[in-house]
Amino acid sequence: MDNRNILVIGAGVAGINASLSLADSGRKVYLVEQTSYTGGTVIKFEKVFSNLECATCMVAPKQQELLTKENIELFTITEVLKVEGSLGNFVVKVKKRARYVDLKACIGCSACFEPCPVSVKNEFEEGLSERKAIYIPCPGALPNVPAIDTENCVRFNGKDCKLCEEACMFEAIDFEQKDEEIELKVGAIVVATGFSSLDPKEIPKYGYRKFSDVYSALEFERMFASNGPTTGEIKLRNGESPKSVAIVHCVGREEKGYCSTICCMNSLKFVHYLKEKLPDVKISEFCSDLCIPGKSYEKFYEQTKTMGVDIIRFDDIAVKEEEKGMSVKYKIDDKGGSLPVDMVILSPALEPRKDASKLAKILGISQDEHGFFAEKHSEIASVETSREGIFIVGCAQDPKDIQDSVAQSEAAVGKILSLGG
Amino acid sequence: MKDEFAPKIVGFLCNWCTYAAADLAGTSKLKMPPSLAVIRVMCSSRVDPVLVMRAFLRGADGVLVAGCHPGDCHYEKGNYYARRRFALLKSVIETLGLDSERLQLSWIGASEGYRFQQVVTEFTDKIKKLGQNPMQKKTSL
Amino acid sequence: MEEKIGVYVCECGPNIADNVDIDRVMKTISSLPDVDVVERHKLLCSENGKKFLKESIQKHGLTRIVVAACSPKQHEVTFMKVCEEAGINPYFFQLTNIREQCAWIITDKELATERAIRYIRAALRRIPFHKALVKKEIETNPDVLVIGGGIAGMEASLLLASGDRKIHLVEKTDVLGGKVKELDKLLPRMESSLDIISQRIQEVKQSEDIKLYTNSEVEEVLGFLGNFVVKVKTGENKELELRVGAIVVATGFSMLNLKQLPRYGYGQYDNVYTALEFERMNIDGKILRKDGKPPKSIGIIHCVGREERGYCSGVCCMYCLKFANYIKSKLPDANVTEFYQDLSIPGKARQKFYEDTKAKGVNFIRSNEVEVMDKVIKYKTEEGEEKTSSVDMVILAPAIEPSGDTAKLAEMLRISQGDGGFFQEEHPKLAPVSTSMEGIFIAGCSQGPKNIPESIVQAQAVAGRILSSLIPGKKLEPEIKTSEISEALCIGCQTCLEVCTYGAIYFDEMKRVSVVNEVLCRGCGNCVGSCPSGAASVKHSTTTQLHQEVVEALR
Repeated sequence: MDNRNILVIGAGVAGINASLSLADSGRKVYLVEQTSYTGGTVIKFEKVFSNLECATCMVAPKQQELLTKENIELFTITEVLKVEGSLGNFVVKVKKRARYVDLKACIGCSACFEPCPVSVKNEFEEGLSERKAIYIPCPGALPNVPAIDTENCVRFNGKDCKLCEEACMFEAIDFEQKDEEIELKVGAIVVATGFSSLDPKEIPKYGYRKFSDVYSALEFERMFASNGPTTGEIKLRNGESPKSVAIVHCVGREEKGYCSTICCMNSLKFVHYLKEKLPDVKISEFCSDLCIPGKSYEKFYEQTKTMGVDIIRFDDIAVKEEEKGMSVKYKIDDKGGSLPVDMVILSPALEPRKDASKLAKILGISQDEHGFFAEKHSEIASVETSREGIFIVGCAQDPKDIQDSVAQSEAAVGKILSLGG
Repeated sequence: MKDEFAPKIVGFLCNWCTYAAADLAGTSKLKMPPSLAVIRVMCSSRVDPVLVMRAFLRGADGVLVAGCHPGDCHYEKGNYYARRRFALLKSVIETLGLDSERLQLSWIGASEGYRFQQVVTEFTDKIKKLGQNPMQKKTSL
Repeated sequence: MEEKIGVYVCECGPNIADNVDIDRVMKTISSLPDVDVVERHKLLCSENGKKFLKESIQKHGLTRIVVAACSPKQHEVTFMKVCEEAGINPYFFQLTNIREQCAWIITDKELATERAIRYIRAALRRIPFHKALVKKEIETNPDVLVIGGGIAGMEASLLLASGDRKIHLVEKTDVLGGKVKELDKLLPRMESSLDIISQRIQEVKQSEDIKLYTNSEVEEVLGFLGNFVVKVKTGENKELELRVGAIVVATGFSMLNLKQLPRYGYGQYDNVYTALEFERMNIDGKILRKDGKPPKSIGIIHCVGREERGYCSGVCCMYCLKFANYIKSKLPDANVTEFYQDLSIPGKARQKFYEDTKAKGVNFIRSNEVEVMDKVIKYKTEEGEEKTSSVDMVILAPAIEPSGDTAKLAEMLRISQGDGGFFQEEHPKLAPVSTSMEGIFIAGCSQGPKNIPESIVQAQAVAGRILSSLIPGKKLEPEIKTSEISEALCIGCQTCLEVCTYGAIYFDEMKRVSVVNEVLCRGCGNCVGSCPSGAASVKHSTTTQLHQEVVEALR
């Protein structure tokens, strides 16, 4: 292979893992990340199934290693614009947007947040709390350096505001920073761009965004997170603790036409979350099939059942508003029922990211009928694509759990390093 | 002039989880009583009983050993051993004439800045109630 | 040589300076007898600050450095590099945290200053006891032993084999291909398994860099990462000694012995087949009953042994659907009924396969209690109603179990068995193909029940791990801050051996003492915590060093 550098797109768990392995082998890695932080979706979780390990504790050492590894160059707030060439000789153009904060000078003291006059919904916190226009997504985010959201910043919308710059003792804020277009020459590309969650709003029968206490899985994760908007308190919008919760699996399964693999386990994990904070809460899990394959998952299911949760199967389901709270109306074969609940947590389908098509075109790789990047052969070449030298790993290829995403990231490393050169 | 009793607490924090939580508490500017002297170790399993005993014999009012939650240990099983040793230590402390509550083992994960603050604050309060280590005046090592 | 100790206090802009009285800190520390130089700086981690630090160290000829600043998790590495550049061993350095764990958490400036002074003094107390630690390098053998010549073993071998890395592939039976060669078609496109597997077998046999030993077994494994010595007994009854740097365990699976579950009628009634027997029937061409006639009504039973084993084998739902497709393509009029508990069909492509199969007129019955009798399947519906279904052939999907020699291999390799008896991975999320024995990897069904693409991915992942860490000609740099055991103090109780997660301690029979393998040791200190005689110690975290910090805390 001519050029030994590697481009990894996406600094989630899979992307970080691939980058570290490749760097360990002596390759130079360009890791391009769209957001201002590393860790992807996994750092939004408080715990992971099925060992209920603290997600941050698990990922933080890798994120730290990433930031200090010499032959990894991390580009945040960066996207890929163009890819030309072939295996061993790719020429990639990326657009590195300005952070407006100097990564080297900033020490992460957060003095610049307070004076900022802007307050908008924090996307990382799934809209459950607000952030400033100069912000880090959550406490403990890495790199621990804020970015300026130019869309909402008043200065970048015409006003002469320098409050953040004035508050900074390290001269780390630089409004003069410019977006850069950078050309990278690499021998292979690993696409680890992860997934999106289906917006349950698209399926009105679940009452999402209609009724006040219907939450998506990621919203509930942030609610439970010790570094989240409620520092782990599980509360309804009216401030009370829920007494009965319904967790609904398979949201969007029928519409999307596939099972998203991880929701059953994730939903069972939520039982542990709920019982930890609210030991007497009544929990019902609604599912069509229990998808818990593998040597460890059924054990977790059995253990979770003993904590006091009803598993209710359904063919058809909807959430209805009641005078007080809501009810979950479900049907299985000819029978059915209605369960009154205070809170509903929805487990929505995992889908390709909104920009998957755009990226597929840039990379010159195909997508399957659902929009996931298409593998070369689903059985024997699941991390390769039709374009030699471009690999797809993790949920960008197919919904899967962390273990399989990490295995795929290592597999891509294996394929790349075995090409020699 | 004798001020209110300011406890001297030694804290052995594991590098991967609790020390990170302590740092996070710091970055989040969470205020704590100044009673804890932090000593960083790689794993809670590193804390050998002799170290803890010596601390008490030198007059520590309290000793806190903190590590990753069971199952989260960076070295897989270290904290399970810490838990076992700690249980044994508790009874040994009693033989020194010290209240075993002066020794505490806590599990604090890397994202739990608030919990760290809570543990330090509550442990300090507990030690304040227990009073000064009676060995303070007796031994000199 | 006389030691010269320097203390550098970082103000971190206003972050430390606002909450800690730096003047008082400087004054107090300067007055200490063993401190030669005390300096302050606005921002030591900046380019300016690092330059200042390096020049100051060199100017004063300092031998040991204490920096009071932010968390060591942030900048320990930064300042250690500066020390190295200034000509000092980077371990003659201590970074004490007076920011996150002092200035930022203590409200009262007086008390925060006190705490800062104590932390600096604690560092000063321990630093005379720091030892110069150096990088270690060990020679390694890049060759790899692969145990198991199934799909995962072959995939790993093919990816790893190269001119400067030989692969020794040891296969227990007389042929390569494992279980995959016993299958007729592969999902989801119903491609011929033989086409795919025979191509791989050819590649393995033709590779100059893969040495294949069939009818052979591994007898003994000694050594460690980079330096394993393996004894193999070959088919010709020869004993070979192989030297390798890494070992891949790809020993596949067994299927649950159906005689253990008499309620499924296997071996009791005619025309009750296991999944692999049914595959064989299809490879041979025709689906026929024992009496030579084609079956009219077939029951396919999922989850056989799921309850007993305590886990879902993951792959059966899909291959049972595949069986329905086999049947419908050969016997379009046959009645096919699938008896299942949960339909496990995760992923973007599988639901479609299920729906297409259903559309061919396959029946699906959900039941948790299924029993096979002569020509009939008895089952209980979810409401508790008992029903029967007439069949003239039954196919059973038995649980996937670890292969028979898993326990023996686990002991030989000093790796553990985890859930279900399968080999235990190092970390269930972040390290699925490595084990706690560095240099020993697991892939495929030996790690847990999984399908073909997952097995291949794990084999490729193992190749990735080995290719990135065991590089021909490159020496390994193991952990520097490892444990060490004093020969003089060790009483030979071997407690440390038992507690070591990584098998990094061995017992020297001659000297009757425990010795640390510095290549495998990760420096956690569990051995120290367990040592009754104080013989064990962790470099850079010795009991003396820690005790000095305690002494200062309690002064």
